[in-house]
Amino acid sequence: MWGTMSTNIASYNSRVPEMFTAWLSCWRRISCVACIAILAAAASAADWSEQERLLSQKIAATTGPAAVSLEVVNRSSLSKTDAASIQGSLRTQLAALGLRFVKPEQSSAVVDVSLSENLASYVLVAQIRQGQNEPAVVMVSVPRSEPLNTVYEPAVMLLRKIQLWSQDEPILDVGVVDTSPPHIVVLEPNRIVLYSLQAARWQQEQAFMIPHTRWWPRDLRGRVLIRKDHLFDAYLPGTTCSSTGSSPLAVSCRESDDPWPIGTEPVTLKGFFSPTRNFFTGIVVPGVGRSGTVATFYTAAPIPRDRYTLWLFAGVDGRVHEIDDANEQLLTTNWGSDIAGVRTSCSSGFQILATSNSDGVSSDTVRAYEFPNRDPIPVSQPLEFSGSITSLWPESGGASAVAVSHNPRTGKYEAFRLAITCGQ
Amino acid sequence: MKLFGWPLRAVSSLLLLLQSGALSAATRPQYGGTLRVAIRSAPATLDPSEGADENSPESRNLSRLMFDTLVTLSDSGKVQPALAVTWQEQSGGQRWQLSLRRGVKFDDGSPLTPDIVASSLRTANLGWNINSSDESVLIELPQPNPALLAELALERNSIVKRSSGTLHGTGPFHVTDWRAGQELSLVATEDYWDGRAYLDSIQIDVVNPRDQMLSLELGKANLVNILPEQARKAVMEGRRISTSPPLELMALVFSRDRQSVDDGKLRESLALAIDRISIKNVLLQGEGEPAGTILPRWLNGYDFLFSKEADLARARQQVSELRSRPSWTLGYDSGDPLARLVAERIVLNARDAGLNLQLAAGMSDVRLVRIILPSLDPWVSLMTVAKIAGLPAPKHAGDGPEDLYRAENQLLRTDRMIPLFHLPLNYGLSPAVRNWVQRQDGIWDLRNLWIASETR
Repeated sequence: MWGTMSTNIASYNSRVPEMFTAWLSCWRRISCVACIAILAAAASAADWSEQERLLSQKIAATTGPAAVSLEVVNRSSLSKTDAASIQGSLRTQLAALGLRFVKPEQSSAVVDVSLSENLASYVLVAQIRQGQNEPAVVMVSVPRSEPLNTVYEPAVMLLRKIQLWSQDEPILDVGVVDTSPPHIVVLEPNRIVLYSLQAARWQQEQAFMIPHTRWWPRDLRGRVLIRKDHLFDAYLPGTTCSSTGSSPLAVSCRESDDPWPIGTEPVTLKGFFSPTRNFFTGIVVPGVGRSGTVATFYTAAPIPRDRYTLWLFAGVDGRVHEIDDANEQLLTTNWGSDIAGVRTSCSSGFQILATSNSDGVSSDTVRAYEFPNRDPIPVSQPLEFSGSITSLWPESGGASAVAVSHNPRTGKYEAFRLAITCGQ
Repeated sequence: MKLFGWPLRAVSSLLLLLQSGALSAATRPQYGGTLRVAIRSAPATLDPSEGADENSPESRNLSRLMFDTLVTLSDSGKVQPALAVTWQEQSGGQRWQLSLRRGVKFDDGSPLTPDIVASSLRTANLGWNINSSDESVLIELPQPNPALLAELALERNSIVKRSSGTLHGTGPFHVTDWRAGQELSLVATEDYWDGRAYLDSIQIDVVNPRDQMLSLELGKANLVNILPEQARKAVMEGRRISTSPPLELMALVFSRDRQSVDDGKLRESLALAIDRISIKNVLLQGEGEPAGTILPRWLNGYDFLFSKEADLARARQQVSELRSRPSWTLGYDSGDPLARLVAERIVLNARDAGLNLQLAAGMSDVRLVRIILPSLDPWVSLMTVAKIAGLPAPKHAGDGPEDLYRAENQLLRTDRMIPLFHLPLNYGLSPAVRNWVQRQDGIWDLRNLWIASETR
């Protein structure tokens, strides 16, 4: 499309945290969490100076070093501040090219500059009128960029989101490896990428393609689990991958209908995932309840009790099924399809994180709940995301969860660690 | 956004939709169900390259369900891989080599091959020299075309396998029943290369436009057309409406080139006489944007350089200065009630300026046309409009905004066309429809659409 990228001098858009905002923490049984705090924001903003210079040259080529009247009109979604900044810069550039600014009645040329935009670019249009001649029109364009905005809500029990990674390609899951230096394993539809933290930035260390003979199903899902005897296992519909344990890593993938681990360590099950759909088939190992199988479901989470475990299944039928050894009942909730249990030192020691979009207007949220009996009690404020949540899994170890959301404004997939802080 | 009117409408529609509880993004999509669609008219053929009307939203949408193109355009107009995964340009855009995606199959189970792709493209583009190799196709054009990829993304360049009079596609759905002009039944292709669609099937029926809203209300359809003049009322009634950017051009097109300087002035006077604002407010019920250019601003970024204001006094003066005032006839699509209303109003505006203009059936000096802008690539849209309207083909001299401006300005200076409005395409949706996506180019993307289980 149009336009040329330019050099980094001026920026008129809000800075966009591209990625690399990461807080990595230990997740062992100790109650406190934080280990390392890294904050590095990379900026991506539309850069205008080169195009302003180019437009100024085009105007000056038409008018020559003359007395002109200049008017700049903002017809775009640029802010007043940005528009004023562009106007100031244009004046400076034009003055440097020998143009003088006077009132229209004293000018030899009237220059009307419009700050406009189209689908792909901001367009700067200059219409130059000199006497009775046909107006001359010159233009330049600057590719658009979009700002990122996230919302943060304080809460009673504080549910926090800590950005791990962000990228244009879909993210199915992210695993955090507590090594020195820290690593993350990013599971994408077609590859697994290992990043290490170097000089406060995530640097790609290795990438492994995921061979698969069958086309992936729509709403592709996947899970990566960090292991103790080797680095990780990754599960995708009909495919399982395992890494070796030492660097440089090797990863082997195979077609497999092996069940995926579900639940929160140490309370886990294995569930068979449909190789051509986006849900678990309902066959779980070992069985739950009296029948041993449950209705097809998207996600599951355990609530350990003294003598049994209550399991929650977010069913494909849109309802949450609550199952223990003897009973099954349906919960009335406004939950979405993704739930995850986390094990903390707060309150009962086990909370359920559930996605929701209860008002239907804003973006998706995640909220923490406890189950004193059989009904959920919210224990945190809803935590808002900048779009739809595409994945929510408990992390290996169970002290936190990883959520992935898709930001429609930036088009990026963003992975967050979700952690609970007690007693706020 | 203060630039465009349509996003505000789209947002308000979306809010209504959301407030009705129709969308819950936190719920994962459910497989299964049938989408029932009511369309205004069924195309005479399903073959996208043989006579399908590229100016028909129905043809374009149906084609996308059954067939794929080598590349597609994203909502920001960027070229995306589809059946082709990589491409190379040579000789300044005159030779193009596109490598095909491996493992793709047609709905009859046969593999997508370079030979079939080349054959399909030859059918749609007689002037191109197309050859195939092991895994790619090579396209040689009569002259360089920097916008070739955007052109390959058009529906008419869908890849079709023709065998024994039957059409096969690689698209997300395939045909199970087709009665020309009446109904079309489609089912999901299980091993679709981009992931099987959530829907099991789509049932498409031809329903009179005026009855489509009733079909929606009675639950007979999940997806219906909303006429431009009905859109505001539907929104006021709290209906769930999807609105595209304004991508349908309504314009007057003269059948002949300008005959003289005076003829040019008369055409300019007609353009000045037309009160677009009144037509928009009254006949279009506030729908659409008055147009002074072929492309709307969201595609060209400079429409404000061209006047769309009525200036009756100037029109009268110009007409009064001319010695001869020929009588023109104005034609329109007799099956389009909105076109008739607008044409009648234009006749009145013209008479106010002293011009002799009267409605006519059949051949006419001027015709009121409605042309869909088919691509998010402004060059491809401009060239398509020129082709449909019978205007000289614009010369694609470069990719900069000034190049586009010059080409569009040159087209308008022929005085063959008077742009009037840019109209959106509106659809009504039932509450059960989830993940509805109408792309920026107006095309439905039904691959991710699903039907909520409680209403299946």
